[in-house]
Amino acid sequence: MIERGDEELSHIYRDAEGPRPPQRVDDNILAASQRVASTVRRPAGFGFSRRWGTPVALAATVLVTFTLALMVFERESGLDTMARKAPRTAQPAKVAPPEPKRTESSPPGPPRAASPEKSPSVDLPRAAPPAAPSPQAATRSDRVQQHTVETALSGERRATGQPARLPAIPPGVEILRKSEEAKPLPDAQRGFDAQQPIRPAQAPAAAPAPGANTLRESASAPQGAVSGLASRVTASEAKEREKWLEDIRRLKSEGKATEAERELAEFKKRYPDYRLPEDLR
Amino acid sequence: MSDLASVLPVPPRALPVQRRRPAEALHLRRMRIEASDEELMLRYGRGDARAFELLYRRHRLPLYRFLLRQVGNAATAEELFQDLWMRVVNSRGRYEARAKFTSWVYAIAHNRLMDFYRGNGQASFLSHEESESVLEDTPAAELAADLRLDRKRAVERLLAALVELPDAQREAFLLQQEGEMSIEQIAAATGVGPETAKSRLRYAVAKLRASLGKES
Repeated sequence: MIERGDEELSHIYRDAEGPRPPQRVDDNILAASQRVASTVRRPAGFGFSRRWGTPVALAATVLVTFTLALMVFERESGLDTMARKAPRTAQPAKVAPPEPKRTESSPPGPPRAASPEKSPSVDLPRAAPPAAPSPQAATRSDRVQQHTVETALSGERRATGQPARLPAIPPGVEILRKSEEAKPLPDAQRGFDAQQPIRPAQAPAAAPAPGANTLRESASAPQGAVSGLASRVTASEAKEREKWLEDIRRLKSEGKATEAERELAEFKKRYPDYRLPEDLR
Repeated sequence: MSDLASVLPVPPRALPVQRRRPAEALHLRRMRIEASDEELMLRYGRGDARAFELLYRRHRLPLYRFLLRQVGNAATAEELFQDLWMRVVNSRGRYEARAKFTSWVYAIAHNRLMDFYRGNGQASFLSHEESESVLEDTPAAELAADLRLDRKRAVERLLAALVELPDAQREAFLLQQEGEMSIEQIAAATGVGPETAKSRLRYAVAKLRASLGKES
């Protein structure tokens, strides 16, 4: 298209010093282009979501539809109701232990902290001699409540058939318990009313060790309600034990040696770690 | 890699660009050589600002000269030039590589010039009729011998004659020279038939030749 003369014309034209756009125009245009490009740039996950968005949505739809259809089918065929009934019948036997029997003297609504389910740390597998009760605890003897607690504890034991599981006792607490075992009983605790009849059969088969209870409660300080309750249990337990021993002494003094021996054996069985007084050994 | 980088040509005029890491610079150099204008524009449409930078570097001077020679005023040329590139930027998402990028961008320039002429009441571009007599009177391919020797004088005469050309003819000549476009591309960019484009170009060349042939 371009003839030879036109080529010469082109050369002459290109020899002309080419004007250039000013620097600010360059800067303006490039800045605008970069500004726009940065807005165009998509996030990193955009491509992934665009690629997999549709398949994932389809899969989710299919899954939900299938699940709903299955549920409807089960409900219509009755499988669902059968499946629901089965655990419902098994639930009470599995979860709830038998409610401890309340004695006649027990109030209708025992305190919540006395519930064996709520305070498993009250029970101990081995009995221990009682710790010296604090004066406050000794004076505040709510017999009815104590008896309820005792019954509840023994009831729990009967229900489970084995000692309640307890968290490990800290070593310091164990040392304390041993030192408490070595202590003799206070005189105030020994002297009590001997007019009460002996009822060893009504005592729980394996009553919780009161001293251990006290120590245990002192180890778990935040449980204030349980601690107070345990101290009351300890006081009543000590009184009952002393009454029992007093009755054995009376039987001995009355000449009923066989009965006294039987009661003593029962007592030893009940409190194996208890240090008997000199006159009964 | 370093050998390849050393072989790659250096751009004629480096724009103020931020310092880049070696790998990025190598990528830019490869793109500068290998990528076509259309590919660069498509990359820019996908958010690659460096592609636009290369594209701009390739075409800024011809486009600016084209506009400046057409309007004859630097301030107006700068305004049109900036507006032209902003149109390119804003058209990044709609660009399709159906035609050459140069055809597309010079078509935008042509349209922008039309708007400018209409706004200034310059109807000469649209109503100009080429004069066959001028074409016939001008001897073809005969340049004055002294002008061949004195290139500087020749350039001055040529530029003066270019200003005197009708707008359409000047545009056809500039599209050929600056845009390195064929008759068909000129026709496509200016929205006329190939014959019209060819005729305009012939008239322009003949008149410029005649201006160079005249003894001042």
